[in-house]
Amino acid sequence: MKKMAFAAVALALGMSGPAWADAVLVLNSDEASFSILTRSGRTELARLPVGREPHHLLVTPDGKEVLVGSTVTNELLVLDAKTGERRRVVRDIIDPYHLGFSPNGKWFVTAAYRLDHVDIYRGEDFKLAGRIFIDGLPSHMAFDAESKTVFVTLQQTGRLVAFDLQTQAIKWNVKVGEAPAGVVMLPDNKRLLVALTGADGLVVVDPKDGSTTGTLQTGKGAHNFFPKGDGRHYFLGNRVEGTVSLIDTQDMKVVGSIRVPGGPDCMDITPDGKELWVTQRFLRRIAVVDIEQMKMVASIPVGKSPHGVLMLKSGATGSAVAPVRAASTAGDQK
Amino acid sequence: MRQLIDIWIDAQTWLFETFVGPVLFRFGLMAWYEPGYSAVEFVMLGVVQIAIIAIGMRFFEKRWPLEKSSSDDRLILVDQVYTLLNKLGILPLAIFIVTYPLVQEIELTVRTWGFAPPRLERVLPWLGDNALASFLVYFVLYDFAAYWLHRAQHGLAWWWSLHSLHHSQRRMTVWTDDRNHVIDDLLITLALVLFSQVVGVQPGEYVLILMIGRLVESWSHANVDMGFGWLGDRLLVGPRFHRLHHALSTPEERHIQDHNFAPVFPIWDILFGTAVYDGKHRPTGVDDPIVDGDNGRGWIAQQVTVFGRFVRSLVPGLRRASVQ
Repeated sequence: MKKMAFAAVALALGMSGPAWADAVLVLNSDEASFSILTRSGRTELARLPVGREPHHLLVTPDGKEVLVGSTVTNELLVLDAKTGERRRVVRDIIDPYHLGFSPNGKWFVTAAYRLDHVDIYRGEDFKLAGRIFIDGLPSHMAFDAESKTVFVTLQQTGRLVAFDLQTQAIKWNVKVGEAPAGVVMLPDNKRLLVALTGADGLVVVDPKDGSTTGTLQTGKGAHNFFPKGDGRHYFLGNRVEGTVSLIDTQDMKVVGSIRVPGGPDCMDITPDGKELWVTQRFLRRIAVVDIEQMKMVASIPVGKSPHGVLMLKSGATGSAVAPVRAASTAGDQK
Repeated sequence: MRQLIDIWIDAQTWLFETFVGPVLFRFGLMAWYEPGYSAVEFVMLGVVQIAIIAIGMRFFEKRWPLEKSSSDDRLILVDQVYTLLNKLGILPLAIFIVTYPLVQEIELTVRTWGFAPPRLERVLPWLGDNALASFLVYFVLYDFAAYWLHRAQHGLAWWWSLHSLHHSQRRMTVWTDDRNHVIDDLLITLALVLFSQVVGVQPGEYVLILMIGRLVESWSHANVDMGFGWLGDRLLVGPRFHRLHHALSTPEERHIQDHNFAPVFPIWDILFGTAVYDGKHRPTGVDDPIVDGDNGRGWIAQQVTVFGRFVRSLVPGLRRASVQ
């Protein structure tokens, strides 16, 4: 029935092939639905049901499917990345709050935010390889380039933990600051950036041992990252301050700031690299930022508490940039 | 419509970002950032409810009162205090602080076992495609649970010792609905939240169900002799239907209050044989001098006195025969 409804919506909207590739998916975490918008039209076309409390979504490494995590129903909704058609539901993925594939696609990891555990699944068939219970609200994750380690922030205890993907053993577990949320591995594979939502900036962490090697002030409630796409600059949303900072990771300084009110959260960039779309959790909208002007140019109404966002076309080519996408598009937090 | 929604959201965001968010940030409570935002909406909805009661519903009470003004009017004041404490989120916040860890622990334990609360949509897939139908089905289920909890409030002596406070009001008005002991409120909240988790009510739906349900219940306590017509009175609880549930018992009608329990949908009383539609006017209150003594007391005195009644009901040696 849902499949039929989805097909009917897609048909009515003419959303197949190229049209669907123009689509943006936004998860409305407080109303168990996801919105479908068009990038070009900047409008919401449809709102479809999905499980309960969906927060994050990502494209599979082969670019063929989109996975939507439904946290309370312990399942993943699988959509066809090309047509948007509902393909299947993967059950028994417990509290899939934050999702990520290792760069080589071998591992699929979920952070169970409310249930306090990190699950490591085999990427090919979602078979559970290991479950590690760890207190402190595990929220975001990043991988190293070799697909050997996953780094997970613990929001409540202020820690960053490194897990060995093969053995599921903890490599190190360090305190990094107040309410760490977003974490991203830089392309040099030598620096992790961790956003501190309980503070006003980020810390730079050495992935080898978890030692803090630097800090940078960005804004209150620094929350999550998204790569600009040039391998050097990253956007960082500051939820409490209502801004998005642009960070030069080479010089490690803030080179720009954009006002995005309403608790800016997840982000994604249009395929042409000109626009940054940012969910505004409190305003029930998604903001469109003109990157050249560094200015918010539109704000589109969606559902309640919009969280994860995904540009389908950029997502469909996700395998090429998997090391960064796995840790950014896939992730955000409450 | 979109403009109205935008005004509402803008106000909620402004209130949160100006007053609540900075406090949470300052005290390292960022894990409560989203719940804090929802709490602001709860309070805003409370203000709307108070406005609807004070302006809309009171208009009918003033224009067409069933019981004329008397010296008992002063008894209404304490009910207004209850309403303000509830609708403005002060009591719900206290109850939330007590119940949340317990509900959380139960839910997380069950989910760790691998049991995910099923959404009805898994059984009835068509519900997922129709937001209104989905909302109504969850509303009906919620009301069904509330009906049986209400029967338990009357059927269990210890629970009646608490719930009798709600019934002790001799001057029933639109303000009476919130007149409950905090432990009674806590138990009902705990039970309904757990029930909602099990059947899969969404957080957004829950707030709406609560708001609409409580407004219907406020209206059903109004001091008016009004209904919704023969059919309407069988679809929705109104003042005429619910007033019978608050009727003072007499030797001829000892168990009159064991009827018309339904909070919103009378169908439960009809189905389970507890519905009475006779249109008679009866005085309200409880035929027990101890319970009737609640009248005239202030909020704190009522809470303390009824707590004592509750303790006595739990300890056989202290129990008094007159508690129903």
